[in-house]
Amino acid sequence: MTTSLNDITTTVTAIAAAEIGIPAAELAADTDLRGVEGVDSVKVLRMIAKIEREYDIELEDEDVFGVSSVSDVATVVEKALSEKAVPMKGLGAK
Amino acid sequence: MSVRVPWSVLPDYRCFGCSPHNDRGLRLTFDTHPDGLCARFTLDRGFESYPGVVHGGLVGVICDETIGNLIVLARRRPAFTVSMRTRFVTPLLVGREYRCVASLRDGDELFHGSADILDADGTVCATVTAVYQPFALDDVRHQLTLGDDEVALLDSAIARHSIDRSPTP
Repeated sequence: MTTSLNDITTTVTAIAAAEIGIPAAELAADTDLRGVEGVDSVKVLRMIAKIEREYDIELEDEDVFGVSSVSDVATVVEKALSEKAVPMKGLGAK
Repeated sequence: MSVRVPWSVLPDYRCFGCSPHNDRGLRLTFDTHPDGLCARFTLDRGFESYPGVVHGGLVGVICDETIGNLIVLARRRPAFTVSMRTRFVTPLLVGREYRCVASLRDGDELFHGSADILDADGTVCATVTAVYQPFALDDVRHQLTLGDDEVALLDSAIARHSIDRSPTP
């Protein structure tokens, strides 16, 4: 089963909006998260921690500190999910 | 509800994380939690890194300890940590109370656990994911300083102590 970028964007928007304390409808996909009033790097990290737990993924730190919008976050989540779905050759064969 | 860990049947166990007999340890105690297991803790300046800040390595120790005890209580098998990954969100402060809440995912050969460190408001300060390999006490006798009687005592305690049911006396 794959998760579409649209679904990921919806989930990321909901988590980000909840962390910021605004309705999800007020958060556009291209909004610069760090530019939203009251949002600092800690809040962004907290969003990332919740998103990682939601999808059971571990985002690369370079990606975490490189993202600025919901759309950016959704893209790195999609990448992490696709990498997670690829089986590692030579492991787990019994 | 307070939980007794199986290791407590050994009168002199010295686990850095959870033994009450280790003066230099964390002396963590555990309660059941809807998600698994919870440890409340407040660390003093003996565990300091930057002034007023708890050393970050302790976050890993506390999460590892809570997940590890959840495994033995829920799956009734001790396990060694294979890998662990920590995301630090905010520093923990000396003298403040925090909670570590651990949970487990399904797994057969390896156990996958996660833990969150939360402040008094329930705000996430750090998250950990970790993987554990279960073992039988008899198979690691060369690594543990346990006598035959202690292995039998521990095996019995692990079978009896559970977060699903109260240990039988």
